[in-house]
Amino acid sequence: MISLIKYEFIRKYKLVSMILITILALNLLLLTKGAGGSMLFLVVSLSALFVFYLVDIIKMYSDDLNKKTGYMLFMTPNSGYKIIWAKLLAAIIEGAGLVLIYFIFILINGAYIVVSMGDQIDYSQIVRGVNQLLSGTFGFNLGHVLVLLIAVLAFLIAFITTVYTAMTIRKSIFSEIKFGGLFSFIIFLLINWLLSLVSDKFHDIMTPYYDSINAVSNAGNISAGGLALILLPIISVFIIQAIVLTGFSGYLLEKKINL
Amino acid sequence: MSRLIINELTKKYYNKIALRNVSLNFEQGKIYGLLGPNGSGKTTLMKVVAGLHKQTSGHVLINDQVLSYKTKSYVSYMPTENYLYSSFKVVDILKFYKDMYKDFRYDYALNLLNDINVKLDYKVSNLSSGETAKLKTVIALSRDTDIYLLDEPLNGVDVLARDTIMDIIAKSYGENKIIIISTHLVSEIEKVLDTVVFLKEGAVELFFDAEELRQERQMSVEGIYKEVFGND
Repeated sequence: MISLIKYEFIRKYKLVSMILITILALNLLLLTKGAGGSMLFLVVSLSALFVFYLVDIIKMYSDDLNKKTGYMLFMTPNSGYKIIWAKLLAAIIEGAGLVLIYFIFILINGAYIVVSMGDQIDYSQIVRGVNQLLSGTFGFNLGHVLVLLIAVLAFLIAFITTVYTAMTIRKSIFSEIKFGGLFSFIIFLLINWLLSLVSDKFHDIMTPYYDSINAVSNAGNISAGGLALILLPIISVFIIQAIVLTGFSGYLLEKKINL
Repeated sequence: MSRLIINELTKKYYNKIALRNVSLNFEQGKIYGLLGPNGSGKTTLMKVVAGLHKQTSGHVLINDQVLSYKTKSYVSYMPTENYLYSSFKVVDILKFYKDMYKDFRYDYALNLLNDINVKLDYKVSNLSSGETAKLKTVIALSRDTDIYLLDEPLNGVDVLARDTIMDIIAKSYGENKIIIISTHLVSEIEKVLDTVVFLKEGAVELFFDAEELRQERQMSVEGIYKEVFGND
């Protein structure tokens, strides 16, 4: 498993490095535009990293299934389950790494914004400064951002596993029939429809839970912990979805694949 | 004991049948030639045995085990396509094999590549077709395993590189190993073959001992090949 994850990163480290160097260069450029440039950078880099992450994770798996280089991976004596779990873990590690890097950019740019506004800055308290800035400007702090990023990451992983499953179905169950690609897209839509049904049911079941949270939190002034409690059920759904779909993809890779 | 048994194997795609009830028994200590024109099912058969394609019906037993990820450890497959990661250097490919296959002989591969002058620090994307073919052959045969499947190892390779590849294959022969080579370049390869399988339109047309048939018909394998496939 560790070898599989290692080679996921070895295969993409040059691309990831190039993206990060480009983002760093963009940051340096926008820093010359003052506090506004830093704010713009934080928005643009978040969008760029998000799009890159999504495309990269999906393309890696698509290449393994659809290009001849996929033989390198699928000829190895690793089960389909192991391969798909390694891919998912690599995706989680990459996502967490990009979130961490984005946080470093927030800290650097936050400090720069504070300085450029003429405030005194205590570098040992950069986090608090950024926190105050975010709190004052947007009404939330770094804790909220962290919880939201975890929720977004969980959503992304669930979404990616849905896409992985659809692609795996295309190369297994529908590999020997005409319009297999169309069928797998329909399957992708069906999976999403089923998942939304399950999510709705789950939400109904969890209504008393939300009521209990509302009872203890003040509307409009929720803490990061409160936000985490509110998002916990949906994050759980995403995680269960990722586990079930990854298991199913592993089964197909093991028993039905046609590369 | 190395053994490969293929029984009533059929592989269908949505618009064609690639293999039709193929039954074959491969024994250790022999080099087999899997011969037939393009589209006869050679590559499909190898891919099924290598676990890259799933058969529609029938079964394959490798060392008495049905096909699974476990049987991949008994099979070293060299696809005819360029399947190597193009961004990797040659040495990275060797490291990949060393990490993924317990039976990979890293030093053996290093020595072979050194002997045939394939540079370790070259990127795969910069290798010539001959160098790529040599590299593919070396890494496939550097695994110390039971069954080797070499799909068109001489394709797109010049005469000198062909000799090198044939030497590497001959060196890899062992009493407990099965080597299966698919090709349509029969004359180049027939001297190393013990047994020959002719595949025609996905079915086994002939399965024979190369030397016996040569003596019986007073013809080379290539001659027999032309006789069987000449009118196609």
